[in-house]
Amino acid sequence: MTYRKLAALTGAIVLSGVTSAMAVEGVRAFFPAVDQERGRLVIHGATDIEAMEPLVRDFQVLATDVAVDYTDYVTNDLYRDADAACRNGRAFGDILLSSSVDQLVKLANDGCAVAHSSAETLEVPDWANWREEVYGFTFEPSVMVYHKDFVPPEDVPHSHGELTDLLRFKPDYYRGRIGTYDLRQSGIGYLLAFLDAQQASTTYGRLLESLSRVQAVLRCCNNAVLSEIDSGNVYIGYNILGSYAYAAARRNTKLRIVLPRDYTLILSRGVLIPKGVKRPDLAGRFLDYLLSERGQEVARRKAFFFSRTGPLPDNVDGPPKLIESGIGRPIRIGPALLAAQDQLQRSTFIDDWIRLLRGSAPGDAP
Amino acid sequence: MRRETSLFSRLVVRVALVLCGGATLLAVAAWYYARAAADDAYDRLLLGAAIQITANMTVDNGSLAVALPTSAFELLGLAERDRIFYRVIGPDMRTLTGYEDLQTDLDLTSARAAPVFLSARYRDVPVRIVVAARALSDPSFSGWSYVVLAQTTEARRALAGELTSRAMILVGIMSLLALAGTVLAIRYSLLPVSALGAALRARDPQDLTPVNVDVPRELRPFTASINHFMGRLDERVTLLQRFIADAAHQIRTPLTALSAQVDMLDEDEMDEIGRRHLGRVRKRVGQLARLTNQLLSHAMVIHRSDSVRFKPVDLTDVARKAFRAAIPVTVDPDIVISFEAAPQPIVVLGDAVSLREAIANIIDNSLRHGTVSHLAVRVLGSNGRARVEVEDDGPGIPPSEWSNVTARFVTSKTGEGSMGLGFAIAAEVASAHQGAIGFQKRGERGFTVVLDLPEYVEGAR
Repeated sequence: MTYRKLAALTGAIVLSGVTSAMAVEGVRAFFPAVDQERGRLVIHGATDIEAMEPLVRDFQVLATDVAVDYTDYVTNDLYRDADAACRNGRAFGDILLSSSVDQLVKLANDGCAVAHSSAETLEVPDWANWREEVYGFTFEPSVMVYHKDFVPPEDVPHSHGELTDLLRFKPDYYRGRIGTYDLRQSGIGYLLAFLDAQQASTTYGRLLESLSRVQAVLRCCNNAVLSEIDSGNVYIGYNILGSYAYAAARRNTKLRIVLPRDYTLILSRGVLIPKGVKRPDLAGRFLDYLLSERGQEVARRKAFFFSRTGPLPDNVDGPPKLIESGIGRPIRIGPALLAAQDQLQRSTFIDDWIRLLRGSAPGDAP
Repeated sequence: MRRETSLFSRLVVRVALVLCGGATLLAVAAWYYARAAADDAYDRLLLGAAIQITANMTVDNGSLAVALPTSAFELLGLAERDRIFYRVIGPDMRTLTGYEDLQTDLDLTSARAAPVFLSARYRDVPVRIVVAARALSDPSFSGWSYVVLAQTTEARRALAGELTSRAMILVGIMSLLALAGTVLAIRYSLLPVSALGAALRARDPQDLTPVNVDVPRELRPFTASINHFMGRLDERVTLLQRFIADAAHQIRTPLTALSAQVDMLDEDEMDEIGRRHLGRVRKRVGQLARLTNQLLSHAMVIHRSDSVRFKPVDLTDVARKAFRAAIPVTVDPDIVISFEAAPQPIVVLGDAVSLREAIANIIDNSLRHGTVSHLAVRVLGSNGRARVEVEDDGPGIPPSEWSNVTARFVTSKTGEGSMGLGFAIAAEVASAHQGAIGFQKRGERGFTVVLDLPEYVEGAR
């Protein structure tokens, strides 16, 4: 009883905190069962509680006797803890959510996942399902966000190339005003950068060079970059997940979203049931809910805003049909992501990236 | 009850067993080949990926660097469900990157000549491993480095399973076809056996001539044995008949003498008891003479049925002659005796002598055992049948005995007053003429014996 009260209290505090300060990650929330609690689902997620809350609440409408214990992690921490738990044969929650799907794929490859299949999982497209162990349950384009007040209409970049050129032509105006992830801290940032390099290595090299020239601001995570834009410290955010960006844009109408028109990486947030799961039934039920039509609809309206099938949300600048036009490039959940997860690869890539971005002194720029 | 053995089921069961064995063997072979094929196919992917990784090894500032190409993993990802483990080993045998616990029993240097494949277990799952080597020769850095690349075997097993099951479907279809063919072939091959059986069944019991049915070569020994046996049986029967005829003939002479001697005895000199004994002796001698005659008659009928060609004869004529011969002059004058001929001539194909003997025997039997005051002989023809009816007003033979009386040496009554061979002779003659002896009972008094024969129609034969 004491635990429940405490947990509920923590949840309430954390939730109220989340709404005021958006940058919080690594916190815990407890959603008590609507009715008499008969089961508790432990979720470890690298996804903001704010985004997940509508989904959890709606799930509890269907499963009134289930309490949900949600802990929010940074992607790298989630992977580290899950990997350690798997190696030591310990349990680590009932279900894992992470935007850094390559880490989930690595966990599944290392035998740390339990397969789950049902009528709902059959509907998932091939690229968002690996071994019935890792499923992608969202549809999140990687976007550019800018602050309307500071970026004049003629400056708005519509592709990676335009961003590169903009930074090249107006380096002084944008110096210290471009924000993106710090690859050392953010798994998703690394994944997006790695895939950017795969997609178009020359364009990306030039972009990196430009980012370096304007001394881009590096932040741990989406919301940190977004709050910098929100406050006007940063004018343009690069490689921000569309869901976070849209949530921020709804709060501050001066924030505008652009989907790059040369190519847009599309991330499907991953979900995995870890080995040693205590309540596989609840985990499977929640997974099915996330993939179900109802769950997808709630995600589209309240949590992640973009969807595989529906149109782009309002006030988003981008091609109307992402997939059909060939601009949207879904990140295939599969063994190819293991290349990104290789530790040597990762350290080399991040080292090179940091060196490129930080190596050249401001004075060197022309 | 013992289970009936059947050639058909024996053959089918054995062929089915052979087919099952063959199918099992084929299944094992198919599985083996499918596995080899699947391994071969996926080994190429594995090797391709390993080569891509070794190709991406570079020497950078005097140290080995490897950038794992995404394409290598995409290649391995063609086996959609399989997990991938890898380990890159530098010249100092230190793990550069990957799964450090991915060990093989293999001496890595053996991979220098050519990539080595092996099957093993890693993290409790079966994996296929390839070890590829690359020689690096940079002025600052030289030596061999290795890539150990492992992939779980789900796709291989799935492919092998699919290939095997497809092969098994074909093998199953072939086996069923073979079995169906065998069933048909066996049924067809066994047809002559049932044909032979039917031919033997349809034969007249008296017919001891060789079987003449078309049979396959394999059945010839069987028919030859049957024919051999029948030949011997025929000889025995002929011998027996000849013996009986001879014996009867031999007995007749002393019997005639005995009869004459008995007649010569003077009854007047005897007392009452002596006369009664003499009467009995005379009666017994008469019976013996008759039986002997019947035996001879039987032998003759059989002889004639074998040797005499049948000719069209007028049945009325034959019946009248028999009637005359069978009614003795000493017959009781109180008995009303009649002969009714058909209005038209009735012709049958047969031997007049045998037929006369048969009809005479029927009349004789009736006269001796049946007739009280009335005896009628009728010759009739209708619907292609010719009939001779002998009717008397005696008690007749009870229906339960009807089937017995036509058999040889069986009589309705034992001992005194035996009917002897009369009906046996008549039945023998009737069957030799494709006819039969029948009986009809009419109330308490009235019994009819019918000799039923097919009527001869000109040109029908």
